[in-house]
Amino acid sequence: MARGGGNRSRLLLVLLLVSSLFLITLDLRGVNLAGTFRSGVSTAVSPVENLFSRLFSPIGNFASDIRNFGQSKSKIKELEKQVDLLKSKEVLDEDVIGQLTQLKNVLDLAGRGGYKVVAAKVINRGSSTSFNQTLTIDVGSSDGISRNMTVISDGGLVGVVKSVSSSSAIVLLMSDPTFKIGVRIAGTQSIGVVSGQGGNKYLLQLLDATGEIKVGDTLVARGSEGGRPFVPGVPVGTVTTVQSNASSITQNADVEGISNLDRVGLVAVVVAGPKQDPRDSLIPKPAPTVTVFVTPTPSATN
Amino acid sequence: MSGLRVLNTSLFLLVIFLIQETVISRIKFPIDGFSLYLAALMVLLSLEDRSGSIVFGFIGGLIMDLSIAADTPFGQWALILTLIGYLFSLNKESIGDFTQSPFVFVTFISLASAFALVVYLVIGALLGQNNGTLSHLISIVFANSLWTFLITPLFLPLIIKARTALLSNRERV
Repeated sequence: MARGGGNRSRLLLVLLLVSSLFLITLDLRGVNLAGTFRSGVSTAVSPVENLFSRLFSPIGNFASDIRNFGQSKSKIKELEKQVDLLKSKEVLDEDVIGQLTQLKNVLDLAGRGGYKVVAAKVINRGSSTSFNQTLTIDVGSSDGISRNMTVISDGGLVGVVKSVSSSSAIVLLMSDPTFKIGVRIAGTQSIGVVSGQGGNKYLLQLLDATGEIKVGDTLVARGSEGGRPFVPGVPVGTVTTVQSNASSITQNADVEGISNLDRVGLVAVVVAGPKQDPRDSLIPKPAPTVTVFVTPTPSATN
Repeated sequence: MSGLRVLNTSLFLLVIFLIQETVISRIKFPIDGFSLYLAALMVLLSLEDRSGSIVFGFIGGLIMDLSIAADTPFGQWALILTLIGYLFSLNKESIGDFTQSPFVFVTFISLASAFALVVYLVIGALLGQNNGTLSHLISIVFANSLWTFLITPLFLPLIIKARTALLSNRERV
């Protein structure tokens, strides 16, 4: 009896393994099974994601809330005083103001670069079990979005559109280990490739062995043929460490991304590139410092 | 195992998958994420009989392959979770001992989730996928098993109750 059960299990196992391998082979040979199914799921899921995006946005930041829990008690008293003050004034939702500022900045960046963009809201993040770093945005093919379009935030590059359904799109983040982009060091002609490392740090490999990299150098996208997948001029990151290795053929450097991918809530998808390469005009300029001169006045005690 | 139970359990897994894709993946966990779906599937597989482990491993894998963020061939998770289901069915008696103690059971589920992710990475590497640096992958697998260990006790009774409700009267006896 047990032997019969064991044989049945083995037969079932072989059958299901063969089915899995058959599906994998079909996919690898170009039969787009995954695309069809995943697009269907994406279309079905995006309204739910939108709903949860509105309902659960405070949950998303619970980790940082836990970290700040120790400081909370002292802040509560201070905040209670402020609540009374705020009640008397017209209060706008801070979240809305933050989003409006982000939207203004991203549209400003797109305007300066001459990019035609479609603004989008981030409604979800990729699952950790897929090992891919992705975002889901609330615009899709019905809004003119298609694959391989550049996605920017108020700081600079965010990623590239990987797949599209009618009402949502998946963006492959620049931090993904498979992500690579051709860059130019701003102010020079040195070119290189920046690759994602899975975290907030990126690796720059300079193609020109004689080129010079300095800490603080800003990198901008070189742009692709026809503006896809990358439009030119988008700020990518800043060099933080130069790796000096005499035996290496290429020069390498660690780069910090300009966009904070953990905090990005609003993005813009570049649907049409600029007529002219904006070169270095989109690099964020340091905020002007305010100098206050104080002239002491003589006291009136004569 | 009746066809109706296969259908019921598949729908149950699909609901958990939707919760994972729409709610859980929104949460920015420190280090990296947690997969409610993988943990729930491991609980289910460990409670199933021999053929149930294999069948629900395959179905669970197919559902996981539907993930919109996945960039892998359709069927990769189905292959991996069928193999995991088979390992569960081979060691059914030993796993039965684990389920007696909640602490040991949760530890087992965390390790099984981590093992599934490692197998996914190994098969991915064989298929030529680039999933990032070794340290990054280790941190993801470690974080996933840590979060599974910490969060699973919260929903474990619910999963067990739901699974019992899905059983037919004959299976419950």
